[in-house]
Amino acid sequence: MGFVLDGLDTESYDRSYSDRELVRRIIGYFRPHVRQTILVGLMIALNSAAGTGGPILISRTLDLIKERPNVQLILMMAGGILMLEATSWGFNYIRQWFSAEVVGDVVLKLREDVFGATIAHDLSFYDEHSSGKIVSRVTSDTQDFSNVATLVMDLISQILLVVLLAGWLLSISFRLTLLLLAMAPLAAAIALGFRRIARRVTQNARRVTAKINAQIQESISGIMIAKSFRQERAIYGTFQDNNAQAYRVGMQRGLTLNTIFPVMGIASGAGVALLVYAGGLATRGGISPGNWYLFMQAVGYFWWPLMNISSFWSQFQDGLSAAERVFALIDAEPRVVQEADEPVDQLEGRVEFRNLTFAYDEDEAVLPDFSLEISPGETVALVGHTGAGKSSVARLISRFYEFQDGELLVDGRDIRRVNLRQYRRHIGVVPQEPYLFSGTVSDNVRYAWPEATEEQVRQAARSISGGDWLAHLPDGLQTDVGERGASLSMGQRQLVALARVLLKNPAIFILDEATASVDPFTEMQIQEGLEAIMSDRTAIVIAHRLSTVRHADRILVMDRGRIIEEGTHDQLMAQGGHYGQLYNTYFRHQSLDYIESVGQLDTS
Amino acid sequence: MSKSEFKPTDEYHYNRSGPVRWITSHAIRYPIFPLGTVLAAVLNNWAYSYRQVLIGQAFDLIAVPGWERSALLALALGVAAVAAIQGVTGLVRNFSIEFLAQHIERDARDELYVSLLGKSQTFHGKQRIGDIMARATNDVRQLNLMFSPGLMLIIDSAMAIVVPIALIAQLNWRLLLTPFVFVVLWALTVADYNRRLKPVSLAQREQFGEMNAGLAEAVAGIEVVKANAQEQREWSRFVSNARQFRDTFVQQGKIQALYWPMLIFALCWTGGFLHAMLFWRAGGISLGQVVGFIGLMGTLRFPTFISIFSFNLVQLGIAGARRILELLNTETELDENESGVARRIQGEVTFDDVSFGYDGKPVLSEVSFTARPGETVAIVGQTGSGKTTLTRLINRIFDADKGQVLVDGVDVREWHMESLRSQISTIEQDVFLFSRTLAENIAFGCADADEEAIEEAARAAQAHDFITSFSDGYETEIGERGVTLSGGQRQRIAIARAFLTDPRILILDDSTSAIDSATEDQIQRAMRRISRGQPDALRTTFIITHRLSQIRWADRILVLQRGKLADQGTHDELMARSEDYRRLFVRYD
Repeated sequence: MGFVLDGLDTESYDRSYSDRELVRRIIGYFRPHVRQTILVGLMIALNSAAGTGGPILISRTLDLIKERPNVQLILMMAGGILMLEATSWGFNYIRQWFSAEVVGDVVLKLREDVFGATIAHDLSFYDEHSSGKIVSRVTSDTQDFSNVATLVMDLISQILLVVLLAGWLLSISFRLTLLLLAMAPLAAAIALGFRRIARRVTQNARRVTAKINAQIQESISGIMIAKSFRQERAIYGTFQDNNAQAYRVGMQRGLTLNTIFPVMGIASGAGVALLVYAGGLATRGGISPGNWYLFMQAVGYFWWPLMNISSFWSQFQDGLSAAERVFALIDAEPRVVQEADEPVDQLEGRVEFRNLTFAYDEDEAVLPDFSLEISPGETVALVGHTGAGKSSVARLISRFYEFQDGELLVDGRDIRRVNLRQYRRHIGVVPQEPYLFSGTVSDNVRYAWPEATEEQVRQAARSISGGDWLAHLPDGLQTDVGERGASLSMGQRQLVALARVLLKNPAIFILDEATASVDPFTEMQIQEGLEAIMSDRTAIVIAHRLSTVRHADRILVMDRGRIIEEGTHDQLMAQGGHYGQLYNTYFRHQSLDYIESVGQLDTS
Repeated sequence: MSKSEFKPTDEYHYNRSGPVRWITSHAIRYPIFPLGTVLAAVLNNWAYSYRQVLIGQAFDLIAVPGWERSALLALALGVAAVAAIQGVTGLVRNFSIEFLAQHIERDARDELYVSLLGKSQTFHGKQRIGDIMARATNDVRQLNLMFSPGLMLIIDSAMAIVVPIALIAQLNWRLLLTPFVFVVLWALTVADYNRRLKPVSLAQREQFGEMNAGLAEAVAGIEVVKANAQEQREWSRFVSNARQFRDTFVQQGKIQALYWPMLIFALCWTGGFLHAMLFWRAGGISLGQVVGFIGLMGTLRFPTFISIFSFNLVQLGIAGARRILELLNTETELDENESGVARRIQGEVTFDDVSFGYDGKPVLSEVSFTARPGETVAIVGQTGSGKTTLTRLINRIFDADKGQVLVDGVDVREWHMESLRSQISTIEQDVFLFSRTLAENIAFGCADADEEAIEEAARAAQAHDFITSFSDGYETEIGERGVTLSGGQRQRIAIARAFLTDPRILILDDSTSAIDSATEDQIQRAMRRISRGQPDALRTTFIITHRLSQIRWADRILVLQRGKLADQGTHDELMARSEDYRRLFVRYD
């Protein structure tokens, strides 16, 4: 299954399920609702039967008419037709009512399962798969699946109707039915052929539209700059070109898609014309005019379902591959696996790497045979070029990744054997770009400890630079941070993240220092916040700030997964080795000496 | 529009007094298309309905034994011909509306663009790009969809009801009874259906958006979620959202299940059948007419069913038009002051007790300072302290509410706007570059700059080295198809631009971070050089900066705190005077 979209949207955890496996899984989700599902099936059957009955009854009536029926008979016939139509409507109503419930529940369960599986994954999973794609699997793919469930019901109902009607027609005239059925392949061929063209045009259009939209976006963003340089006319020319192109592409697509129904209409009309004649001739051979009329009507009943089947087919396929993608996400194996579940009540903060080997993929170890001991309360700064393995060290301590060999001990205990939830209550992590959830500053500070009182939150906030930073927020702790913290500046977001850690009061603090530029006053507050945090706990910092490396108890210079130098800033500077070079590359411009020297910079 | 800074050569004028009028004035610009659509829709439905009449005639023919083959053949060919007419008119109808829809999308976007170009910098200084983009893409697109298929479906279903009824009238006017009853009941029930469905559909869309947004947030913040062991909480939050979505989904399904119009149709169809039969029995019509009538009534099934969709699309289109119009009708409020002072700026900038606020919130209060010609002024302060707003008062993106901003001793409101602005350049925090070559981007303000001048500007901006490190050098394309530049590189391209235009006053919003010392060196050199200007005519430069080195060496430092000027002076003065300021530098000892 899923060949339709092969290669377009696949992820490394994707797998192919056999049709049987796929159907088994899907049925599994419907099992808890077996009664409603059966009821829905029954309603579909009854609805089709009643739908077939309508035209048949009319044709019978027309034949009876010739005998000049009495009023009573006419009333009975009308009553019969009304009964059929009304019950058909009623069956449909019941079917839709229950299918909405069943589909709603099935999709809800599917979403619960898929999100449960997603959130259980470790960070390597999130590194490999973009968050947008994960989100679309959890919401859109499950939605597609629900559309397919509805689609399948419609399809079954229509096919059933066609089959029932065809059976009835066969009993009237074999040859005319054959003629009628002979149109089916024609309808299917037109629909399929057209679909191929439409698909190509749509794909083309989608590709081109994305490009043109980007261009239009650029010309709109460029208005401001064009105005300040008074280049309006030039940029208007560019815009007109882009707009004309968008027009052409849209037109091409629109015209193509608009051809199908008229063409199908012509074809079905020709079919009816054929039957008018052939059927009329057949009445000489004993077919009643009522039955002739029924054949006429049958064209409509046959034609559209057939067209629908062929166009639904691709949606059906898409829906099944959506289900396949959802199951693949549910079934993906987590990599971080705990071997035991030992409680972690207290943590002193001693960390020890023993001959540890870690690789993101098999080919190249990021940390080969890595050993390191960090004492409780120590502040360790990791420095080195990109790719030296600094963040791997930090993230392994958070147990975000699985390592391949060696040991990682926390307070002398194997990190693989502790209860992760409890363990993580004792570590505080601030990523390079601090992440805030929508809500207030206060909500974000208490994220790790939702039960904290307002007073505790305020205290944590005040321990950073005396709480000065709160005065710069429009509503203090109650300030709304906006989507992902967008209404706060980068520096303010860092302060909130630091307050979050202070409230949590962890034994181990892990910081990936931000590189973004922050105004000097906020920067000062951040530094003061960091000092407050690092003073009485183990801290592991991926350092980008000169003041941080200077205040670290120990600097580890890393290169290709190894520690090549260690010591304090002054010791290492005196050695003048690798650290000296790193200093010149990354830290020199932050020093007061440099700031003073700028005045003499040669600018020629 | 009364005031506009830009007009294309052949502008078409639309009626902008209301969304519906505006859409109509767009549509009647190409009268042939709406006309074609309606005419074709009438013919198309006539043809489709007339087929039923022909079938009825055929029924009459064969009901009496001894009929001629040729008569039946003629009727069959009639059916085929009518089908052909139906197909061709269907194409004409669809194509006309599609042409119209595409034209309108194109024209509306063009109109919006011209109007945006005509608006002042003041306007653009206040607008969010994202908002304008949404209107220029989504809302304009929505207009297109409103025509095709929205209006097309409405016109078509209207015709699909009107035409069969007209044909029924032709058969025998007495047969109109049931169709009329149907139309009335249909209209009532459809309106009722839409009324019930609308709030639920809206709630469902919103709930889907909420579920999606909540999920996206949890996934994007997964590191924080995990580090704080909050998986359980995020899961419950998601499930509660998903459950609410499920509830609205089921609710919508149940409303859709109860689609009364279809039952009304069944009722009227049977009623029509009964009526026609009784009428025939009384000798009023032929059997063929009964058959034709039943067939015509049957064609009403389709418009009954399709009326679920179309109205919604039209509503969305009108809402989009309203948002576009809001933008089109925004007036440019600043006075160009064409008779004002127009001369070369020396570069003295004075703020005299200036206060300014927007949306009722004070942003700057009582700011006073003077920058002498050629000075470099560093503006420091936390986010939200009013730094950017202060610079925007100089080139009149905003006008002060209280007090005066003076350039060379003349109130900026007394200056000829064009003259003032043409001598002031701004380098924004997010430098915008076009997807063109580097050379074209540098020369954007001076189209006549030659290669030599461009290269010289790039050298002065310390951009030459990184530009030549690309294989195509100055001809390197940037943006989507080309290379991506870092923030520091973009900034230096903008500085090179400024070297070419050589403004008298430069406003530089510098929040770029350099993570290595070599880049920092280059940025420093470029900034020091651009802020100095020509030796004989020094440039006045305002730098909004986070860099201590820029602050340290500025001629004047303005310290802003929540809209107030907390302190100003040279580095040495501030070191001596301000404890806060000293703390900034002490940390680096």
